[in-house]
Amino acid sequence: MEQFEPKIIALVCNWCTYTAADLAGTSRLQYPANIRMIRMMCTGMIDSKYILKAFLSGADGVFVGGCHPGDCHYIDGNLKAGKRIPGVGKILEQFGFEPDRLKLKWIGASEGPEFQKYMTEFVDTIKTLGPSQVRDRMIL
Amino acid sequence: MSTYMYKTKDQNPIDAVKTVLSAMLAKSQVDAVFVAARTPYAKLPMPALITSADKMDDVDPLAPAAPLNAARQASSILKYETGKKIALVLRPCEERALIELVKLNQCDIGNAVIIGMTCMGRMENGTYLKCLDDHEDLSISFYVKPDLQAHITTTCKSCDKFLSPNADITIDVTGMKDGIIGFLPQSEKGETLLSGLYLAREKTSTYREKTIEDMLKTRQKEKEQVMKAAKALLNPLENFQKTVATCLNCYNCRTACPVCYCKECVFLTDIFAHKPEVLFQRAKKKGAIKLPQDTSMFHLTRLSHMAHACVGCGHCSSVCPSGIPVADMFRAVAEEVQRLYQYEPGKDMHERPPYIAYREKNTFIEQGEDR
Repeated sequence: MEQFEPKIIALVCNWCTYTAADLAGTSRLQYPANIRMIRMMCTGMIDSKYILKAFLSGADGVFVGGCHPGDCHYIDGNLKAGKRIPGVGKILEQFGFEPDRLKLKWIGASEGPEFQKYMTEFVDTIKTLGPSQVRDRMIL
Repeated sequence: MSTYMYKTKDQNPIDAVKTVLSAMLAKSQVDAVFVAARTPYAKLPMPALITSADKMDDVDPLAPAAPLNAARQASSILKYETGKKIALVLRPCEERALIELVKLNQCDIGNAVIIGMTCMGRMENGTYLKCLDDHEDLSISFYVKPDLQAHITTTCKSCDKFLSPNADITIDVTGMKDGIIGFLPQSEKGETLLSGLYLAREKTSTYREKTIEDMLKTRQKEKEQVMKAAKALLNPLENFQKTVATCLNCYNCRTACPVCYCKECVFLTDIFAHKPEVLFQRAKKKGAIKLPQDTSMFHLTRLSHMAHACVGCGHCSSVCPSGIPVADMFRAVAEEVQRLYQYEPGKDMHERPPYIAYREKNTFIEQGEDR
């Protein structure tokens, strides 16, 4: 049987996590190619719709990466995400999505190796969980 | 706190309520009364704004029906400080919704007098009209006959928040069996108003406590069952798809929702007005799509935006043309979300909603999960 290759959407903040990804790239740190990264200006602007849309369109996992608390370029956008995203996770849980499919992590601009580590870990988690229940199903 | 009981000598309880409201207007204690009243054209009571004491004839706040949650209408009167003093007669779920709207800066209730009630529930519009055919005095007999109370909505049957703790005055209907209606002052404002009306002052009956206790037990038991059944309607996603399979995307549930307050809903914007190309693309991806699109997206989005503030009034279910148990669904998810945020909508006017109070009680950060 063909090995399950998850599709993962990463919503990352321009100032920290995206820069960390950049650093990981320039440092030639390898991480799984399952990640489809979307750069946002801040995690605070991630409406719950974006996460829901990703899951309903068949994403096997959604990763949200932002600045460490206190480091936000917009002062407290990441705190807003820190409050909002657990709620979205709780809602998804009620519909049978495993809570581990949605992950929020703070990754600073200088943390290229951490970026690599978290991405690898997350892909492994999703691989263990298996494909999302949305795959190959008509979603109304 | 003392209790003023208005004994119904020759008056029936509805007339007693009318007398009290009229007296408030006549004595200029308030400038207007916001209360459910029948219009000359229909038997269903609708929210009305009454400024004249002699227009109280059709007032019927005790009717076991409510075509809409009056909180939003109340907030349209209280949009900003007008200097007018208004008495609002609200059900507990309407009161909770109004408090949520205050928190969201949609209205100001500083000058309002809230008259709540011990709510025995409401019927669906159709059921109400049917019962009205057999019982002319439904607004009274409903409180006397338990078989009539069995006709209330599923949401009301499983509602354990039937008291109005934040009201200035509560209309107590637990004594209706003996033809007595009581007015309980719950704040200084309420106390002042009632003491000016020369009502007979009596102690609260122990009967009230007993009735409330029994009601709470029955309701909680029912709630447990309803919530359990609702969770099975959602999980796994396959079940949820079956539940919303006949959804028309009419957005009635959103319109009826008292706490869904955005002036411009995202589902009415271009974001969800897809171009034909997008629809073709989606169809191609899966081979077939159902139209209208974004049904699951709509319900999930509304949940993620409003679940923390769901007051559990059940009006979303009542207005659904496809008979989808939207309220059960919403309440089941809301229960979990509200537990997560340790937030109870409508409980405290000064408590800030979780998404606004993102610096406080931020469990994600407090648990040190950031590293």
